[in-house]
Amino acid sequence: MRSFQTIAEFKAYRKSLLDAKDKGKPCLVICGGTGGQASGSNDLIRVIKRQILEQNLHDRLSLRITGCLGFCEMDPFIIVEPGYNLYPKLKMADVPRIVAAAVKGEVVEDLLYREPGSTVIRFSEQDIPFFQGQTRIVLGQNQRVDPIRIDDYLRIGGYAALEKALAGPDRGWIVEEILKSKLRGRGGAGFPTGKKWEMARGQRSPSGRKYVICNADEGDPGAYMDRSMLEGNPHLIIEGMIIAALAMEATHGIVYVRTEYPLAIKHATIAIREARRMGLLGKNILGQGFDFDIETFHGAGAFVCGEETALIKSIEGKMGEPRQRPPYPIVKGLFGCPTCINNVETLANVPYILSHGADAYLKIGAENNAGTKIFSLVGKIKNTGLVEVPLGTPIGKVVHEIGGGPSGTAKIKAIQTGGPSGGCIPASMFDLPIDYDSLAKAGSIMGSGGMIVMDQNTCMVDVAKYFMNFLQDESCGKCFTCRKGTQRLHEILEDITLGKGTPEHLVLLEELARTVKDTTMCGLGQTAANPVLSTLKYFREEYERHIVDKRCDAFVCKQLTGAPCQAACPVDTEPWRYVAMIERGDYEEAYRVIRSANPFPAVSARVCDRKCESRCTLGVSGGEAIAIRALKRFVTDRVKPSVYKPTPARKKRMKVAVIGAGPAGITAAHGLSLLGYGVTIFEAEDRPGGMLSCSLPAYRLPRDIVAREIKTLVNKNIKFEFGRVLGRDMTIHDLFVDKYDAVFLAFGAHESMRLDLKHEDVEGIYPSIEFLKAFNMRGEELARGHVGVIGGGNSAVDAARVALRQKDVTGVSLFYRRTREEMPAYEEEVEAALEEGVRIETLISPVKILARQEEIEAALREGVELETLVSPIRIHSRKGRLADIECIRNRLGDVDATGRRRPVPIPGSEFKVKLDTLIVAIGERPKSGFLANMGLEIDKGGRVRVNPKTLATNLRGVFAGGDLVTGPNTVIDAVAAGKKAAESIELYLRKQPLPRPARPKLPEVYIEPPQDPGSEGRTNRRAANPALTPAERIKNFREVEMTMPEKTAREESRRCLRCDLAFTAHKSADGAAPAAKEGEQHD
Amino acid sequence: MINLTINGVPVSVEKGTTVLEAARYLGFPIPTLCHKEGLTPYGACRLCVVEIGREPNSRLVSSCTYPVEEGLVVRTASERVVKARRMVIELLLASCPQSKTIQDIASRHNVRQQRFRQEHEDCILCGLCVRMCEEQMMAGAIGFRGRGRGRSLGTPFDVQSEVCRLCGGCMEVCPACQARCTFNEPEKAICGACANLSPPCVEKEQFHDMMCYLTPCVACEIKK
Ligand code: SF4
Ligand code: SF4
Ligand code: SF4
Ligand code: FES
Repeated sequence: MRSFQTIAEFKAYRKSLLDAKDKGKPCLVICGGTGGQASGSNDLIRVIKRQILEQNLHDRLSLRITGCLGFCEMDPFIIVEPGYNLYPKLKMADVPRIVAAAVKGEVVEDLLYREPGSTVIRFSEQDIPFFQGQTRIVLGQNQRVDPIRIDDYLRIGGYAALEKALAGPDRGWIVEEILKSKLRGRGGAGFPTGKKWEMARGQRSPSGRKYVICNADEGDPGAYMDRSMLEGNPHLIIEGMIIAALAMEATHGIVYVRTEYPLAIKHATIAIREARRMGLLGKNILGQGFDFDIETFHGAGAFVCGEETALIKSIEGKMGEPRQRPPYPIVKGLFGCPTCINNVETLANVPYILSHGADAYLKIGAENNAGTKIFSLVGKIKNTGLVEVPLGTPIGKVVHEIGGGPSGTAKIKAIQTGGPSGGCIPASMFDLPIDYDSLAKAGSIMGSGGMIVMDQNTCMVDVAKYFMNFLQDESCGKCFTCRKGTQRLHEILEDITLGKGTPEHLVLLEELARTVKDTTMCGLGQTAANPVLSTLKYFREEYERHIVDKRCDAFVCKQLTGAPCQAACPVDTEPWRYVAMIERGDYEEAYRVIRSANPFPAVSARVCDRKCESRCTLGVSGGEAIAIRALKRFVTDRVKPSVYKPTPARKKRMKVAVIGAGPAGITAAHGLSLLGYGVTIFEAEDRPGGMLSCSLPAYRLPRDIVAREIKTLVNKNIKFEFGRVLGRDMTIHDLFVDKYDAVFLAFGAHESMRLDLKHEDVEGIYPSIEFLKAFNMRGEELARGHVGVIGGGNSAVDAARVALRQKDVTGVSLFYRRTREEMPAYEEEVEAALEEGVRIETLISPVKILARQEEIEAALREGVELETLVSPIRIHSRKGRLADIECIRNRLGDVDATGRRRPVPIPGSEFKVKLDTLIVAIGERPKSGFLANMGLEIDKGGRVRVNPKTLATNLRGVFAGGDLVTGPNTVIDAVAAGKKAAESIELYLRKQPLPRPARPKLPEVYIEPPQDPGSEGRTNRRAANPALTPAERIKNFREVEMTMPEKTAREESRRCLRCDLAFTAHKSADGAAPAAKEGEQHD
Repeated sequence: MINLTINGVPVSVEKGTTVLEAARYLGFPIPTLCHKEGLTPYGACRLCVVEIGREPNSRLVSSCTYPVEEGLVVRTASERVVKARRMVIELLLASCPQSKTIQDIASRHNVRQQRFRQEHEDCILCGLCVRMCEEQMMAGAIGFRGRGRGRSLGTPFDVQSEVCRLCGGCMEVCPACQARCTFNEPEKAICGACANLSPPCVEKEQFHDMMCYLTPCVACEIKK
């Protein structure tokens, strides 16, 4: 390698390299960084090398092994230049085909990148959304250099900035330029780099030494951009350091890198050696009379050593402990000499600024936040990796566009920035631009650039606890409030996650967190409380759920969750327990387990939305959830309800009036009657059942099942009064006059929402409820010809399927404004509807519906009305009858605060559909206007306001539950409301305080696990109920799902992991035995 | 000379003075625990925090380590300071309830209860003993090890240090462990001086010019 004594010589050499750049030859680029190697890129490299050797491809193909390219989710991958074709997640066997194609200038289509879940091939890197959204002025260079070859770096224009800086009129202009560029320190607080340099430049060192330190002590869990920079492009950092030294007349440079980064150390060491050989480091650099050299220092990897003063102490060979500033290191740093410490990424930006000019740099990024920032994006997101975006980019763009949105089905809830001492920002604030000031204002920090995406399955209390645990070990321990403070914060958080939290804890937590922030010496302590403070600020309800309700909705805190299936069940069924009973063949006991928690076993076995299964440990850990509902069906189909016969208590004098004989009303009545209260159920229709009989179609829930189940719940303490309607035949006041001691309102939500379009009342258009009721209660078939259904909820799907079964119907179309994935109906129902021949036209909606639906959603969430999209609306009628409707197509727009993408109508895309019947199923609401006149509080959606913990309304003695309170909801939630109402009313009647203090729902009964769980007869496939084929079920109302055979059920039950045992094992005979034996010996 | 105001009172002091010294010079009381005249300020206990600067950009710093700056505005008993200080005291009480020094500070600040899980530690890692040993006794026999939760105080490798002068200076300054240096439980002692049966005064040759802080002292007891 040549060594250069003058700028001119060096310039000539650089130019010769730039000119010689051979353009024609295709090049395979592959990541040989730590991340790539971990996922097997070394094997690929070996295969490529061998192929090049064997087939003698040296002149026709080149190979470049680079550092991290950022798209780590897709590792190991190969990019083929010049087309930048990206082949993700490769196996060794794929390589030869790629090599062969590359030589010929072709692509291997089946291996090319596609977006997850899409079939569209992205031919080039530039077409991939992950890259499209980024501005990679720093990171992008990694792809173009082999980190151990200085010539590679020179070839992309490397060291040009240094050349310029050396040749400049004086050194002052470098500082000027950096000042002008408004570059801010990328390591944390964002101190202006120019100012720092200016101060450093002004310092005189008594000993003549002045230090530039590159801080590569990256300690945040999950962050690795500094490593990637140093590993992938060390010369860039070295160039930045030389320029910095030049600007502030420093004499010594140190790269402080942690020992855990061997590859970064290796690359940096090689690069320093090469630069020195070339004359870019050492004495009299390029003949300019400037001496500067760099060495590496290997830190032992304490998080706190990222702090300036601790880092200095660590280099000095002392304990890595921060000290009071002032004096600042700029004045008195390493060995008492002026010392300027810059982060890796800060230095990496310097060459760009000098060669492109501060003005060009200022154009990137936002006001006061110029340039780009690299983030390591990890967590519950599709594309994890390193991303570089201009400062000021909204968080949402990084998460949804570059990151590709949530990796699973759960919604994204928050993002954590800034590492352990950063904070969490909720999804509702994803419009926030990422810059130093906005993040700080939101209670987080930029930090070194960690970004952890969290979804609904992340518990925020647990997150805070995790970071406190990290910090209580990583605090240096000098400041009492940092050391003890983090320990105490952790202790309190731990208590909360164990269910031992009290409301006072919350106060103490906040007070202590503020004290830690206020009274500690260094940046670590001052930001240590951020995880607690920011989660308290944005997720306080989650803390309260843990403390007051003893629930962890993310199912993370084990002591609050117990067996997930049980915790998920709204009526507290113990699925593990009856699954265990099925495994033992004791079906009657299984029935008793089910029935003791749920008065509607047979109904639930058919229409429950299976919250238990969605949380089953097997399912969430990568396997298939236990078919809990199908097993319940198996039990209820073969066991007579009479095996569980509770006897009602002796009749008490007090009476309760229940309005509505739906699942909520009957459950409450049943519960109260068993306690001895006299209950009268007032029902508007002529038979009990509510939504079970009037809206749920018979093919899902046969009528005789409903009737039979209700019969088992009625006893001598219960009286029915049919045809009696509250508001028409009596008032609440009348009921109290009639000596009822309490009233439970549960008459559901039976008013269909309207489209609010002109001609909506013409013949042929029906609200879904009316349509379903007409058929279910009176057998009238209202649909005929081509039927359109508007809506995406369950009732829309039900209506579509019922219509399809009616005699005169020729076809059914369902119109919905978003995509299939976002349909709120249960997946399986949509599936079944499609099989039966219902055509689903997604992304189509009659124009005005958007606003109505939006309103429902917003109202559902918070009772606010939000009408954004308003445009002309058309229903065409002929002679007072529906003729056709005019629709407009939508596209999915931005993600809204709830994490769903908004439908946006595409102007000019209107089209007409000829329809004979239109069923409007865009939602139902309670018919409750009259209740307001009786003094009840009603919200905008017509729902009765209650205390969610007790179901008490604002009127004494009046309770409400079910759809009337929640809006259209599931059967099981109605049953749960009924149970809760019975409990509350009983407490109320006995004049006891409401509600009872909550306890975690943990498994209590010990059931021995199956003796020989051996692999024999075990499957890991989930069993399904047999079902009628679509041909068999069309045009009739036979029940579609059937029961599973005994053998299948037993096998299925054997798959259960028995999550309960973790909580009950100590109650087993074995568990108790040793203790007992010991006792005997003592005797 | 450097000019600053403390609680509204202007004062000018020599460069290099700490805020604590300046405030005490004016007679403003600031509680301290890890500070002792004659030892280098360390800043461990955070009890001496004061508020500097003007709202909303003011912040708390430990006055014992913070050097005076021209134009500095200091408040030694603002609401924020008092709140923080009381919480520090609560934390101290929760960890070291048996320390007389801490009890006194708590009662002076009217902190009567603490809300954490009660612990009984015999060291708050204030570093007084370390500095005493190193700076006054020129021994450097004890020091800190580990970080965070694992930080502790002791001799290298937990054996009695060669350089220990058995002077008892560490016990003398300790605000927390007065009860800890007892002959009964030598394994709990930091330096082991209290368990020493041939105290330095007996072997005058070796330690002829050193101070002795051992109380009670075996040799003294015998002499009596
Ligand atoms: S704030 Fe924490 S990490 Fe910083 S010096 Fe104090 S104890 Fe050490
Ligand atoms: S594996 Fe069994 S016990 Fe665990 S959640 Fe699933 S059904 Fe319940
Ligand atoms: S032993 Fe006493 S003097 Fe030494 S650090 Fe601990 S509390 Fe402070
Ligand atoms: S006296 Fe200042 S921190 Fe302890």
